[in-house]
Amino acid sequence: MKALTMETSNINTQKLSDVLSDFIAETDSIVALLLNKDGTAIASAGSENAIDTTAMAALIAGMFSATREVAKMVGEHQFSILLQQGEKRHIHISLVNEHVMMAVVFEGFHRIGRIRYESRKACKTIGAALAITDQTNNNQKVISIPEFKEVALNLIDSIFTNK
Amino acid sequence: MPFINYENREISFKIVYYGPGMSGKTSNIIFVHKTIAEDKRGELISLKTSEERTLFFDFFPLELGHIATFSVRFNMYTLPGQIYYEASRRLILDGADGVVFVADSQRSRYERNILHYQLLEKNLMLYKINPKAFPIVLQYNKRDCDTPIEIGTIEKQLGLEDVPVFEAVATRGDGVLETIRELSRRVISQFEV
Repeated sequence: MKALTMETSNINTQKLSDVLSDFIAETDSIVALLLNKDGTAIASAGSENAIDTTAMAALIAGMFSATREVAKMVGEHQFSILLQQGEKRHIHISLVNEHVMMAVVFEGFHRIGRIRYESRKACKTIGAALAITDQTNNNQKVISIPEFKEVALNLIDSIFTNK
Repeated sequence: MPFINYENREISFKIVYYGPGMSGKTSNIIFVHKTIAEDKRGELISLKTSEERTLFFDFFPLELGHIATFSVRFNMYTLPGQIYYEASRRLILDGADGVVFVADSQRSRYERNILHYQLLEKNLMLYKINPKAFPIVLQYNKRDCDTPIEIGTIEKQLGLEDVPVFEAVATRGDGVLETIRELSRRVISQFEV
């Protein structure tokens, strides 16, 4: 059987997770999540078990995309920061680059200044790491899993079958 | 293109249900969600209007299983069908690896099916995707309606040649799993070289 190859985004997610962990330590936030505009979580740190980061990534990506359309309506290319204020918990979302954003869940709205300051710093570091990835790997990498297709098709057949 | 996370050893594919309003996209995803094993699925999230219409999207992650050292996931989305949510559809289609087009078999909805399929092709091309080479499955839903449109009419009108076609009554689950199984197989097959 032929080997399956895929062109993939070759992002050093460990480096990104380290940046997010540092951010959590500095700000005492609950969760920091890095996601792409497709709605996929790239990296996270903090109390991830307390929040469904997969669903959160999908919803935030949709929200950010919708807001970008609103920005265009009022003559802006996009809004670089979104802030959702709750009674106890709040979400701060900032754009890292055209494709990636960082979402932070935190408590204590009085700390918003610190959150913004540290978010800006983290986004700069993450943006630089992503840019290096682009340059060194042209953002493409091929992985080879010879049995991928055969196993995946078997899994699909077993999951999507009328019982 | 699927997203691959090397640190977490995860591969994520994005599957989108597309089609005109009230054609049964949400019924499809609800049936898939309730049919598959609990340990394979995440929570189904629906963003609805007060009239129970999909406002932004429905979403749930489906864990396909482990292949080699990777965990493989399908992120399942539906889109709002109402024509005035075109911007939402375009945005959520971004990054999709495959599309189930859910057509409404009622004769009064024929033109709307054609229009939405054309919009799908236009939106894919906006993302520099050739619709003819992209995994799409066409589902004729609501086959239990009075005098449903004949199978083949949509394909003929749009000049579709290699798109697999399925009949369904999504509220009963008829044809739902067959549809998503074929689409999933095509998405996976797309990456063979």
